[in-house]
Amino acid sequence: MANRTVATAQSVHGTNPQYLIEKAYRQRVYDSLYWKEHCFGLTVTGVMEKASELTSIGGCYGTNRRPTEFFCLTLKLLQLQPDRQMIDVLLDQTDFKYLRALAAMYFRLTQPPKDVYEKLEPLYGDYRKLRKRSSDGPFELTFMDEFVDSLLRENFVCFITLPHITKRMVMEDAGVLAPRISPLDEDDDDDNYSSNGENSSVHSSN
Amino acid sequence: MDEEDEERRRKGLKPRVHAKEASSGARELLQARKHTINLEGMVGKTQVVQSSSAASGQPGFYCKVCDITVKDSMSYLDHINGKNHQRMLNRSMKVAAETVADVIAKLQSLREAKRRQQMAGSEYNFHEQVSKQQQIDQEKRQRRKEARRRRRLAQTYEEESVDGESIDEDDTSKMMEQMLGTASFKSTKK
Repeated sequence: MANRTVATAQSVHGTNPQYLIEKAYRQRVYDSLYWKEHCFGLTVTGVMEKASELTSIGGCYGTNRRPTEFFCLTLKLLQLQPDRQMIDVLLDQTDFKYLRALAAMYFRLTQPPKDVYEKLEPLYGDYRKLRKRSSDGPFELTFMDEFVDSLLRENFVCFITLPHITKRMVMEDAGVLAPRISPLDEDDDDDNYSSNGENSSVHSSN
Repeated sequence: MDEEDEERRRKGLKPRVHAKEASSGARELLQARKHTINLEGMVGKTQVVQSSSAASGQPGFYCKVCDITVKDSMSYLDHINGKNHQRMLNRSMKVAAETVADVIAKLQSLREAKRRQQMAGSEYNFHEQVSKQQQIDQEKRQRRKEARRRRRLAQTYEEESVDGESIDEDDTSKMMEQMLGTASFKSTKK
């Protein structure tokens, strides 16, 4: 069936991966024209092609909660469940920013916390603009690094309740993650500060 | 199975649709459509029907493969994406499984397509531009004609109702009267 998760899929966070999106919004996607016309029979490469034509991110907008194409494609990826290597390829590429945003969203939804932090934090360096469809209807301006930050910190992004991940501080204390060294620290070294070691220690104690 | 079909025919029912035996287990994988579906192409158009079958003459969306007419676009899409139709096309409902190599290859082809598009955009093709502009002008002319026609009809309609004459006359005859000046026998001084 067109709306069933692929048979070889594994459960994600304890459920069918499609169920990470709430039933009401999932149903809106299934009933939408974009899903029926364009998302039927897509494979991962098909999703890539559609994502390369995306022009905005967003959840569902308007009074009748119309799903954005980004939202539909997220559900499609959850349905297909591409493996880790494929998503890494899509996250590392920089040619198509909406495809990268889509991959980041999928990564955040399906991967364990340690990988999420390790893989998505480099995207902080991507400062390209993204067009976001706000829930009222009109477009807003946001940036890739803002989007990734919202994925890492917030609970509800693009109309999807993100699965819980442990806070970075907790993981640092447990020794699972190394303290984050921001690329901005290297910039500070070029300024008039005398010693470099002090700056990085100030940042990591946050 | 043939006896069952005969029995159904005797009762006036259609024969039951069975999966093709020859292709059982050898079905193609589900594929995305390559062409875009045009749901609005026939809006406002009139078509002469040569009803080869009862279904093909009905108003609505006709599916040639299954010989079915569906009344609305959403149901039509549901039908096209549904199991019966795919079975008619000899396709299973399962999608092809892909590997990382496919993804990398696809990314490469997308990059090249993007690059090609950028290159093509920067080149200036004179003849293409001329034909594009001609098309735009033609469309504009058509739209203007339509608007003028509509306005003229609305005018004559108004005048008719003001003069108290009968309104259900032929549009073309009204236009003729307007042009010849025989629409009303009052003074045409403005």
